[in-house]
Amino acid sequence: MSMLATKEKLSVTGDLSTPETRIEDGGRRLGLMLTLPAQVLVLFIAVFPLLMQLYISLTDWSPLDGIGWWHAYELWNNFANYTDLAADSRFWDALGRTALVMLICVPAEFLLGLGLAILFMDNFAGKRVFYSIMLIPMMVVPAVTGYMFFMLFQSGGPVNDIISTLIGRPFALAWLSSPGTAMVAVMIADIWQWTPLMFLILLAGLVGVPEDQMRAATLLGASWTQRFHTIVLPKMKTIIIIALSIRVIENFKIFDTLYIMTGGGPGVATETISVYIYKVTQQDLIWGYVAAIALVILIALSILVSLAISRMNAAKEA
Amino acid sequence: MNRSLPFEIFRYGAILLALAVTLIPTLWMASMAFKPIAEWSAAGADLTWWPKSPTLDNFRFIFGTSTSDLIVALDRTAGKPILASLLSAVFGTLIAMTAGTAGAYGLSRFGSGQNLPLALIQLRLFPPMAVMIPVMIMWAFFGLVDTWWGLALIYGIVTLPFAFWLMKTFFDDMPREIEDAALVEGCSRLRVFMKITLPMMRPALASSALFVFILNWSDYLIALLLTTREWVTIPVYMASLSSSMTGQLYGAKAALGLIAAVPPVIMGIAIQKHLVRGLTFGALKQ
Repeated sequence: MSMLATKEKLSVTGDLSTPETRIEDGGRRLGLMLTLPAQVLVLFIAVFPLLMQLYISLTDWSPLDGIGWWHAYELWNNFANYTDLAADSRFWDALGRTALVMLICVPAEFLLGLGLAILFMDNFAGKRVFYSIMLIPMMVVPAVTGYMFFMLFQSGGPVNDIISTLIGRPFALAWLSSPGTAMVAVMIADIWQWTPLMFLILLAGLVGVPEDQMRAATLLGASWTQRFHTIVLPKMKTIIIIALSIRVIENFKIFDTLYIMTGGGPGVATETISVYIYKVTQQDLIWGYVAAIALVILIALSILVSLAISRMNAAKEA
Repeated sequence: MNRSLPFEIFRYGAILLALAVTLIPTLWMASMAFKPIAEWSAAGADLTWWPKSPTLDNFRFIFGTSTSDLIVALDRTAGKPILASLLSAVFGTLIAMTAGTAGAYGLSRFGSGQNLPLALIQLRLFPPMAVMIPVMIMWAFFGLVDTWWGLALIYGIVTLPFAFWLMKTFFDDMPREIEDAALVEGCSRLRVFMKITLPMMRPALASSALFVFILNWSDYLIALLLTTREWVTIPVYMASLSSSMTGQLYGAKAALGLIAAVPPVIMGIAIQKHLVRGLTFGALKQ
């Protein structure tokens, strides 16, 4: 691990290709041939489905209607799905909960991961073994993580057992069946699983900080916090942005662990946006409406991302 | 840098605490998998941290052998879901790796498919839930619902971004002199790719394939939407492992959870040094 070296490059804006000065026609033809399968798969999953989604979202179509989706125009509803959505408090609540989970989990994972990464910066006995063990949670299948924490938070489970031992009297909270604590349990599971990802990425960045600069600063009498602010942080800026973006994007999709632990309940107490869409899809079967929700989310995300990318590019050039 | 004694004590204390928090949930499930039904759940003081009388009954139960404690019969065993998970993840990985490797080479060497990097990032960005309606309709149209090959196809597409980006960074890092030498000797471009580049990239291909396999193996949501009965995968099957007679079958689920959790953890540790590259789309390398 001591040989970690970091190459700073922003994936989204990085150099996309390095075409050689002269590629003869044969090479160009082979290049097209080789990229064809990936192009076909992207078209197959992106372009056609999005057009279909747009079409269905303008209708009341449901798989229960017994008519093919291409006949959905018979159920044209004058953008009613979109006006309904604006007034759908369950949707906005789910969106709010998703934001809440993100606002708590991502910073918690970042701070815990950063703290651990700082502890792992230089060598000490047992480092390699500890490092490997630390990474385990992010490799456990998320659905299994959900089940693990479902067991842990049962009222007769180990979490309550540990709390009972600590406070010295019986403690039997039914975590997953009371609205407030169910959300707490879900967030703990997410933080358990994804702190290792932050730790892994941030450590790779920290090890890339030039050691001679750090040593020089130490000799000149810079305190640890000073060195962190003036040397480590500027070097780490890109890496921190990448690590945070990955978790923000993935956390927005939160479903597996949460759905297995609580099913979105009790009531709708832990219903995030993915759970809400899943329920409307599977239980209510109003697919025209689901298509509208999905499109709104896709468009909102695209705008946010292109804003983020252009801001990052501007920052890079400055 | 800091090597003072108090710092070392603090460091080991903090790391040991983190290790305990990391391991307890996993060990609790592992221990549960070997507990007989009497020790599954108990309130307060009776909580068993370690099985008092360890048994393999939970594993026998999910594979359909009747056990003395568990009189409920399963209407289907865990065998087929495990097969479904394996087939869909393996073939999904094949699809992603084939299209991803070829595409990455085309872009890295010939500058073809300039749109792919960004298009694939976007593909990864969107929540699967937000594109599943058209996918469910299309899969139903092609008769792909509730089949392992239908799952393999969507897995191949969903993990294509990772395969592509990982292989692209590996190709970008590879020195071109060897390829150029073979070209000078009169090999065709395709022959150079097949006979020289790919064999040289074997370790990179293996790491990327394992990484993509872990992602495919970990899926729950897509299988939940696209399989119903015949080819449900392990996580979907696991959720159905509760009956009104016994309530939660803790031990049986834990046994299955252990089976599902072990392969990716081993693979993940094996490809440790490429994890950062994989998770950050090649933006960061160790």
